[in-house]
Amino acid sequence: MCFKNLPIEFDENGKAYLREGVRNPYEYETRSLADRENQIRDLLARNGHIKPVDFDPVTRVAGALAFHTVVDLKERRVLETNSMATLFRGYEVILKGRDPRDAAFISSRACGVCGGVHSTTSALTLEMAFPVVPPPLGITVRNLLLALEFWYDNPLHLFLLAGPDYSQAIVQTTNPEIWERASKTEAPHASVHGYRTIGNIMTDLNPLTGALYLEGLQMTRVAREAYVAIGAKYPHPETVIPGGMSTTVTITTFNEIYARLRQLFDYCKKTAFIWDDLCDFFYDVNPEYKKVGSRPANLIDSGIWDDPFAYDASYANCNEWGEKRWATPGVIVDGQQVTTKLQALNIGVEEFIEHSYYEPWDTAQPRFRTDPAGNPISPYHMWNKETKPQPGGQSWREKYSWATSPRWDRRAMEAECSARLWNIAAGGVMPHKRFLEPTGTSLKMHVPESTLPAMDMEWKIPEVWNAFERNRGRAYHLVLTTLVALDNWLIGMDLLKQGKDKVHTAFETPRKGTQIGAGFWGAGRGYLTHHATIDNGALSNYQILTPSTWNASPRDPWGNPGPYEEAVLNTPILEDFSSSETYKGVDILRTIRSFDPCMPCTTHIHVDGTDWVVSREVNTCACGIED
Amino acid sequence: MKRVFIGGVGYTNLRDLSVGPVIVPELQQLDWPAGVEIDDLSQGGPIAAIHRFREAQPYDRLVLFGAVERDRQPGQIYCYRWDGCLPDSVEIQTRVTEAVTGVISLDNLLIVGGYFGIWPADAVVVEVEPQDEDWGPEFSETIRAALPSLIKAVRWAALEPTNRLLTNPCILWEPQ
Repeated sequence: MCFKNLPIEFDENGKAYLREGVRNPYEYETRSLADRENQIRDLLARNGHIKPVDFDPVTRVAGALAFHTVVDLKERRVLETNSMATLFRGYEVILKGRDPRDAAFISSRACGVCGGVHSTTSALTLEMAFPVVPPPLGITVRNLLLALEFWYDNPLHLFLLAGPDYSQAIVQTTNPEIWERASKTEAPHASVHGYRTIGNIMTDLNPLTGALYLEGLQMTRVAREAYVAIGAKYPHPETVIPGGMSTTVTITTFNEIYARLRQLFDYCKKTAFIWDDLCDFFYDVNPEYKKVGSRPANLIDSGIWDDPFAYDASYANCNEWGEKRWATPGVIVDGQQVTTKLQALNIGVEEFIEHSYYEPWDTAQPRFRTDPAGNPISPYHMWNKETKPQPGGQSWREKYSWATSPRWDRRAMEAECSARLWNIAAGGVMPHKRFLEPTGTSLKMHVPESTLPAMDMEWKIPEVWNAFERNRGRAYHLVLTTLVALDNWLIGMDLLKQGKDKVHTAFETPRKGTQIGAGFWGAGRGYLTHHATIDNGALSNYQILTPSTWNASPRDPWGNPGPYEEAVLNTPILEDFSSSETYKGVDILRTIRSFDPCMPCTTHIHVDGTDWVVSREVNTCACGIED
Repeated sequence: MKRVFIGGVGYTNLRDLSVGPVIVPELQQLDWPAGVEIDDLSQGGPIAAIHRFREAQPYDRLVLFGAVERDRQPGQIYCYRWDGCLPDSVEIQTRVTEAVTGVISLDNLLIVGGYFGIWPADAVVVEVEPQDEDWGPEFSETIRAALPSLIKAVRWAALEPTNRLLTNPCILWEPQ
């Protein structure tokens, strides 16, 4: 039984039902945050060494995120945290009333980095609702496109956004003794990445000038070149539509992609070993670094990359086709996988708004009490949720974020690309084993030769879950992504050789009645779902739940912190500083950035009449906070 | 032959803020001297521009144009020669972060491109102050009225001798 908090059980056929005798199964009591806030205020008033430290905006993240902390600089502890998504995202509102076929193109604009994942999730949502099933090559090409998209996303994070936190420029300032030691410590994987010492790696992570930083910029081009061969345009592809793809692919297209893909074989080997060496070095220097960004390993992932011969777009069969994906859907609770079934994952999700700038919707009379398979769903589930923005002032005890608080089984779950590695490794159900080998405790990945020889690489389920493991996991996710792309490239070539070159299935948009659909997919940072309701041919409700909404969530109705908040609360302050004026907060920033925050997916549009200010743009990853 | 690159900058479907990419096709229809290239520099952002300019033959002049919000009278058209001054490295890093995470901004493009040394010394900017920044495909009345003058201004900025272009922003046109 995978649910501990929601009163949901399963019969012998795996169908969920609400436990008998529970009168209001989804009812809950809200816990006030007032006592906690008063306690913190009192501590601040009585202790000079306890300081509020605000990161506003958090830099080197995509979009607008502000983070409030109260820090005890004497005890080197974080006492309080609040994660604030400072802008409202209005895509749900924009999509309401529209032709469903607009959804892929409009929702794509939710992000200027990962627009394609929204297009695809939207396409999947409508494929379920219409219904329509793409032909195998359409699915294969979509997989390939969406593997290549992460080739823009992950290097960007590792070397341009998070990487500088581990650069010589930062480490020499915040922890000079670590820099001293790094410059003398030999890098274990020098033969692969070419850096003799850890110090050499750190020097090349320097922002703007470091070779790894500049190479990261260059690799975005390789990824984009391969991507546009199928998607026509980056970051908002024009060719992802319900029923498959609207592009013609030939052997020439595949050859153009392979010329780029081959460059990634070496880069992913090098990247994974650079982050292995960095993480292990920090643990070795000071085991306290294992606590930086730590929180229980509670992770959720909706799976990604469909089996072209198993995916049928139906909700009825999603448990089966979900488990045949390259990335197994699943939920990890306290490090243990509790399900790999998409239906169990879906029915356990609820979104709460007690501390978010939204009005409640009607939960007494939810439109849907079950999913299409007859499993119970909550009034707080996305198929029942409505987006009703309610701008207001900031209050730590009331409302302070435009992000909602999604919970699975009423727990704060983390969305992470590492959750893909974890679910594949622990689940063992993933059938695509040409290059991948789940062992139960690890994922072995066999990377072909390029300039570097072929290598067997292994990501191991970590003993602790923290900022360093998030980054290491993201580096290994690049290896996974490369191999998924290669596997799909080979399948696509086979299909083309057999003359099976159809990439799209025609469909009729329903004009009458009600249809619902869900898209279970993933972004560069993990979990992504869209849920749609269509009434008489128009979208009557559309809900987007992104990875950064999970991660940036404010406290839930029970006062439990969201993942950023919890991870920062658990972070020890290991930085060297002589006074509060010289304190930089690098450990906190490493923690927040390790989640690869992407706030444009989480929020958008400006907030008139509040303390919180203005977005720069509405339709892409472009939100800055300006005062 | 003087090589000139004219680049429109802006988001699509953001009303007045989309003026850069939207009038690129109109500019391309005009008769130009040999050596003038016109394109939308919004797609892919500054990093794509860096890759493009590093591979191209050097240009003698760059003209960037688009709508930029600076609290001026809506519809006013400004022109200035970029002095090449760059902010500090922390600010440049922030701009690179914005560039790679999807921000499309004329200022960002200038700064990031400037830092990576892709612009010619002779770089000119033509800006129009937007009025309507909502989302959608149409311009405000004010910007619609300014379009012919904006096209003339871009052409002027591309072909005028260098000594006629000032580093201080000057108003080339304003609504009546």
